[in-house]
Amino acid sequence: MAKALEGIRVIDLTVWFQGPVSAQYLADFGAEVIKVERPQGGDQGRGVRSIKSLPVGDWNQYFLVINRNKRSMAIDLKTEAGRGILYRLVEKSDVFLSNLAPEMLEAWGLSYDKLAAINPKLVYATNTGYGRFGGASKPSFDMTVQALTGAMARLGEPGEPPVYLGMGSGDAYGGIMSALGIALALYQRRRTGRGQYLDASLYGAQLFLAAPWLQSFLAGNTDAALQHSRKQVENPLWNLYPTAGKWVYLCEPNEDARFVALCRALDAPSLHADGRFATAALRAQHNEALIDAIEAVTLKRDHDALMRGCVAEGVVASPVNNLADVVRDEQAWRNDYFMKAYCEEVQREVDVRGLPVTLSKTPGEIHCLGPQLGQDTELLLMDLLGYEWDEIETLKAQRAIP
Amino acid sequence: MSRALDDVIVLDLTRQFCASLSAAFLADFGARVIRLDLPPARESSGGRWNHEADLIHRNKESLALDPASAGGAELLRQLVAKADVIVTDWQRDELAALGIDYDAAAALRPDIVFGRISGFGPQGPDADLPPIDELAAARTGMMPILPQPGQPPIYTGAGAMHATVMLAFGVVTALLHRQATGEGQAVDVSLFGANMYGAALDIQAFLAIGEGERFITPISRLDVSNPMSGSLYPSADGRWVTLTMPDTDRWWPVFSAVVGIAADDPRFDTHDKRTETNRLELIRELEVAFRRQPGSHWRQVFQEEQMSADVIERFDYPANDPQVLANRYILELDHPSFGAVKSLGFPIFLSDSPARLERLAPCVGQHTAQILHELLAYPEDRIHALRAAGVVA
Repeated sequence: MAKALEGIRVIDLTVWFQGPVSAQYLADFGAEVIKVERPQGGDQGRGVRSIKSLPVGDWNQYFLVINRNKRSMAIDLKTEAGRGILYRLVEKSDVFLSNLAPEMLEAWGLSYDKLAAINPKLVYATNTGYGRFGGASKPSFDMTVQALTGAMARLGEPGEPPVYLGMGSGDAYGGIMSALGIALALYQRRRTGRGQYLDASLYGAQLFLAAPWLQSFLAGNTDAALQHSRKQVENPLWNLYPTAGKWVYLCEPNEDARFVALCRALDAPSLHADGRFATAALRAQHNEALIDAIEAVTLKRDHDALMRGCVAEGVVASPVNNLADVVRDEQAWRNDYFMKAYCEEVQREVDVRGLPVTLSKTPGEIHCLGPQLGQDTELLLMDLLGYEWDEIETLKAQRAIP
Repeated sequence: MSRALDDVIVLDLTRQFCASLSAAFLADFGARVIRLDLPPARESSGGRWNHEADLIHRNKESLALDPASAGGAELLRQLVAKADVIVTDWQRDELAALGIDYDAAAALRPDIVFGRISGFGPQGPDADLPPIDELAAARTGMMPILPQPGQPPIYTGAGAMHATVMLAFGVVTALLHRQATGEGQAVDVSLFGANMYGAALDIQAFLAIGEGERFITPISRLDVSNPMSGSLYPSADGRWVTLTMPDTDRWWPVFSAVVGIAADDPRFDTHDKRTETNRLELIRELEVAFRRQPGSHWRQVFQEEQMSADVIERFDYPANDPQVLANRYILELDHPSFGAVKSLGFPIFLSDSPARLERLAPCVGQHTAQILHELLAYPEDRIHALRAAGVVA
């Protein structure tokens, strides 16, 4: 099968989550991604052994999934000989991607100016914490950056603590943003023959996680920054309701015909007959009373019974599922959002996150999970970079490679 | 100046914020994005600034067209034949009724890249459920575990924003393939899949582990796995503090000093004690410690010590953060009707071909005549006749 990014070679000098997931998108679509890691321990993400204090399982799914389809070279970039290898790799590559701090890259002789002098066609991408400009200098992790965006503070019931959008939520978003930037620069390069540098920062990306509300705030709607109660939403037909089982999300516009259908789905003629709820305007005016009234009905039934009524009346709704439900969701498997992949570490097929971007003629694929540290170092030195065996011995003696 | 997508013409047939913004991202980087304004017309903003349109339709042109009119559907097909890309969030049956679902569009323009945001993906029994982000988020499994215990599930809206960027990425990736081979294709990003990637780590952990109450029911902030990572504490002025220092051994000497606990306090002098045996006790101590000083104090200390920690802010913070303005993440605009306003800017920086802001949202039909002339070489009298017949506006 044809691959969309066939022939694109990417140097992936990234650690943890945002950078690796960005390169993962490119690798899924056929780019040749070479992960460059420090010989001692490699990417710190290799060390993640528990999530929420639960063991990650018998294989390291944190690292292996976001580094799938990649090769690994172990190079000590603190040595001059190690940098020499990287420079030769830059000559042969299309993209250099790193989420290390720009100061560190500079100190290691890996600035844009330096690498572009070696290969003017290079697309040089960074994932900084807070952007290339402005001078902010502090550590950046998903949640501490998300904290600044305002996205957390607007969620939850009034008076409750702010809400984190989920482990790695911002990193995942920064990763796809970075992949988009790289694809754009590659497209332009094919026409102009010129590379450039780009940055997709964690902060810049995360400001878009709540874009509709932040934009509204910028236009003067200060309320958009605050927490809101589900007991007070303006349209009670588009709201979360508890049942005797799972919560249910109703998603209907506040229109008379939809209200009639909902009353039938709930088997609640008294709601329909209630004069306070007779028109859209009245339902908005008496929203809190209507929410209470609907809730009084939904609480008496479990979600299955409620959903049967909704389906019968064509009311748009969904039970609020949990993770045990989604991993069994047929829709997710049918669309390759989940896939099977062979895991060397445990010698069996495992379940992994698949391909959320579906290209009809050049679909992505998973041909292997993440590489072992440095597994391709010698092979790539010889086949790709043209080193002789005695030169490789010298590099080892110089501790440029393990 | 050369822009990344200078040679790309995009037809934007979108209704929702997330899909419209996806097309705007392509326009920001140089694509000529023609918004197809079909009836019913966009709602007026009642004399107030339409801040949403000026974000999600910036840099676009507008062509107003009624496909139900005599000749309207034919005109639509002529436009499709001239397009490199379609971006849409319409349902498949709606597109088929217009004669521009993927197969029909590809018959008109074989190398077209057809990008669509769906609800639940192109395959499977729910392929044609409506593209509503709340429905997709409810299916994704994260909503019950985002809040504190006992609280209602939480809808964040972030899944739709993932879909925005994923679709733009998918379209440009397909354009790269077309550039190399001449072949077009369909690109689908669903709100369901996008929500799942927003929840990447939790979902993957559950896939691998297959069980665990801590993935199914909310974890109280007073019961987090690591008191120094992923935790929240209120400060003296009610602003919340959050910490991400998973490697507690590395941070403990400086952190303990900052919060007023002796570094050699025997209750907390190893990582295991801090995160296992005396975890709850440490959380209680930190709860007290952070309440002693206001948020501003903690931010200053975190900055001085270069700690991975910060204060949780509301939107007023990024709106006024010089760092944000310096990177053009938020722009200060001189709006022709509303004067100095701020608007979301550009999350991606390209050094040689940065994102542009050439114009704000077009009025409905603002560029109809120009597009018909430039793209389809219609003479003026023919455009006039189409207008008179109500085909275009």
